Amino acid sequence: MARYVQAHMTVAGIAELPLFRRAETLDLLYIGYGLTVVVLVLASYLAGAFGWLPHDAQAINVALLNAPPFTPGHALGTDFLGRDLLSRLVLGIQAYFLPGLLSVALAIVGGSVLGVLAGWRGGWWDTLITYLANLLDSFPRLVLILLVIAAFKPDIYYVMVVVGITSMPVIANLVAGKIAFLRQKSFIEAAHALGLPGHTVILKHILWFNCRALLVIQATLGMAEAILIETSLSYLGFGVQEPTPSWGNMVLSGANYFLQGNFWPSTAPALAILATILGFQLLGDGLNNLLEGKRRR
Amino acid sequence: MRLAAVKPVSRVLARELAVTALLLAGVSVVVFAILYLAPGDPLHALGVREAQGMPRTWHGQYAAWFGKVLQGNFGNSIRTGLPVLPELARVGVNTLYLTLGALALTLAIAVPIAVHAAAHGDTAGNTAATIGAYILSALPVFWLGYIVVYVFIHQFGMFPLISGTAAKQPHAWLYFLVPIFVLGTASGTLSEMIRHLREELSRVLAEDYIRTARAKGARVWRHAFKEGFLIPASEIMSAKIPFLLGGAVIVEQVFNWPGMGRMAWQAAQDRDFPVIMGIALVAAAFVRLGNLLQRVVFTAVNPRASQE
Repeated sequence: MARYVQAHMTVAGIAELPLFRRAETLDLLYIGYGLTVVVLVLASYLAGAFGWLPHDAQAINVALLNAPPFTPGHALGTDFLGRDLLSRLVLGIQAYFLPGLLSVALAIVGGSVLGVLAGWRGGWWDTLITYLANLLDSFPRLVLILLVIAAFKPDIYYVMVVVGITSMPVIANLVAGKIAFLRQKSFIEAAHALGLPGHTVILKHILWFNCRALLVIQATLGMAEAILIETSLSYLGFGVQEPTPSWGNMVLSGANYFLQGNFWPSTAPALAILATILGFQLLGDGLNNLLEGKRRR
Repeated sequence: MRLAAVKPVSRVLARELAVTALLLAGVSVVVFAILYLAPGDPLHALGVREAQGMPRTWHGQYAAWFGKVLQGNFGNSIRTGLPVLPELARVGVNTLYLTLGALALTLAIAVPIAVHAAAHGDTAGNTAATIGAYILSALPVFWLGYIVVYVFIHQFGMFPLISGTAAKQPHAWLYFLVPIFVLGTASGTLSEMIRHLREELSRVLAEDYIRTARAKGARVWRHAFKEGFLIPASEIMSAKIPFLLGGAVIVEQVFNWPGMGRMAWQAAQDRDFPVIMGIALVAAAFVRLGNLLQRVVFTAVNPRASQE
C-alpha cells in the first residue's frame, strides 16, 4: 500500500507568504464554499434542535399538496402531505449530525492510536495494521452495514460505529506515514535529547503540531462519507422512519410523485444532499491542497 | 525482458495467494463474529449449534461453520427455504454485468479527462470537467436514478420500460444500459478515478526519464504508459470494486434489478442471516480477487516489486 509522503516545501519565499496568499484561487473557492456549507449545517442543526422552524415540520396541510418553491408562506414549497419542506430539510439534519460526528470521532481517535502504534512501534504493529486495513477494505461498506443491521438492529448509531471502524485504517495509514517521515527530523531527536517523555513527543509534537491539519481534513471527508451513508440508508428504509424527516426518506417519499411531474419534493432534499456532501468533500480537498502541500502539478 | 519477468510473477503470485487466503480467513472471522454476537442466535438457524455432536465453544462453532462454508454450504434462506449459494450464483451474474459495465463506463469517461488534464495542465475545460465530475459524484445515486428513468424512459422513450425481472423481450438488453449509466457516473467513483489517474500521470510525466525520452525525440506515451497509466488504472479499479458493489445495492433497488444488492436489501429487511452472510462473503471474495489481479498486473509491469 502506498504510503503518504510529505511534499517538501523548499522554496523559502513561498513558505513565508501568509497561507491564503500562496493558495490557488480554485482551492480558496473550494474552502470558502465548504466553510459556508459547514456553517449553514451547524446553524440549521442548532435551529432544528431548539425548534426555531418557520413551520411545524409535521403539520399537514391537505389544501396545499406538492406546492412549488416560493409559495407564499412556504419558501421551499410543501411535500406530498402539504408539510413545509424548508422546516423538514432543517429538521432532517438531526438524522445525520450527531451520528456523523460520532463516527468521525471514532475514526479519528482509533485511527490516530493505530497510526501511532504502526509508525512509532513499527515492525509487527505495522504489519498488523496493513492487514486490518486490507481486511476492512474487502467488504463493500453498505453490505457490511446491511449484515450488521440484519444481525443486530437498524439503529443509526450501530451503523455509524461500523462506518467509524472501517474508516480507521485509512487515517492510521496517513498518520503512520507522517510519523515515519517526522521521526528522522532533528526536532524529534532534540525532544528526545531534552528528555521529554515519549507521550509528550507523540501527543504534542507529532499529533498536535504536525498531524492536526491531516486529521481535520480526514474529519471533513469522513463527515461527507457519514452523510452519504445515512441518506443512502434512510432511502433504503433502514434509517429514520417516515413522520420524522431525513433527507434520504424525503427523496424516497417524494419520488412517488415523480412520474406525475412533481419533481420538487424529491429534488429539494437531493439538492441539499448534493450541496452538503460536495461542501464537505471540497473543503477536505481544498485544505489538503493548501495545508499538506499536495499540488496538482 | 519478458522472460525475466516470468519467474518473479510466479513467485509473487504465490505470496499474494497466501496473503489473499489469510485475508479471506480474516473475512470469515469478521462475519462469524458478527453472527456470534448477534442477539437471537443466528448460528442456531444456520445449523451450527443444534446438530448432534456439535461442539459448543466458540472456536468449535467457528470450525463447524467455516467447514460448511468451505464446502459451499451457506445454509438455506430463511425466507424462501432455498439453498443460498445457487441463488447467489443466479443473481450474482446480474450484479456482475452491472458492476463491470459501470466500471467500463467510468473508465471511458475518466481516462480522456485525466489524460488531457495531465498533459495540458489546468485549462478551463479541464477544470470544468473535473468540477462536473465532482458534482456528478456527490449527486445521490437514488435521485439520479429517478431522473434518468423520467428523462430517458418516460419523456423521450429512448429505452424500454421493463424491469430486470420481466420476461425476455426484444431489445430488453437496452434496459441494462440505464442502471449501468447511473452506477457508472454517480456513486463517487468517477471523480476519484479522474483525480488518481491525473495525479499519477502528471507525476510520471514530470520524471527525469520522461524528459530524457522527450529530449531524444522518443514517444512520451510509450514510456509513460506502464508506470503512468497501467499501474494507477489497475490500482484505482481494484480499489473501487467495493464501492461499486455497495453502490449496486442502491441502484438495484431503484431499478428493481434482480442482483445481489437487491437480495442483500431484502435479506436485511427480513433478518435473513444465511443470505446476507453469503452475500458478504461472496462480495469480499470478489474484492480480494480484484486485488489479486491488480497485484499480478503490478508485478508483471514492475518485476522489481518481487524483490521487496
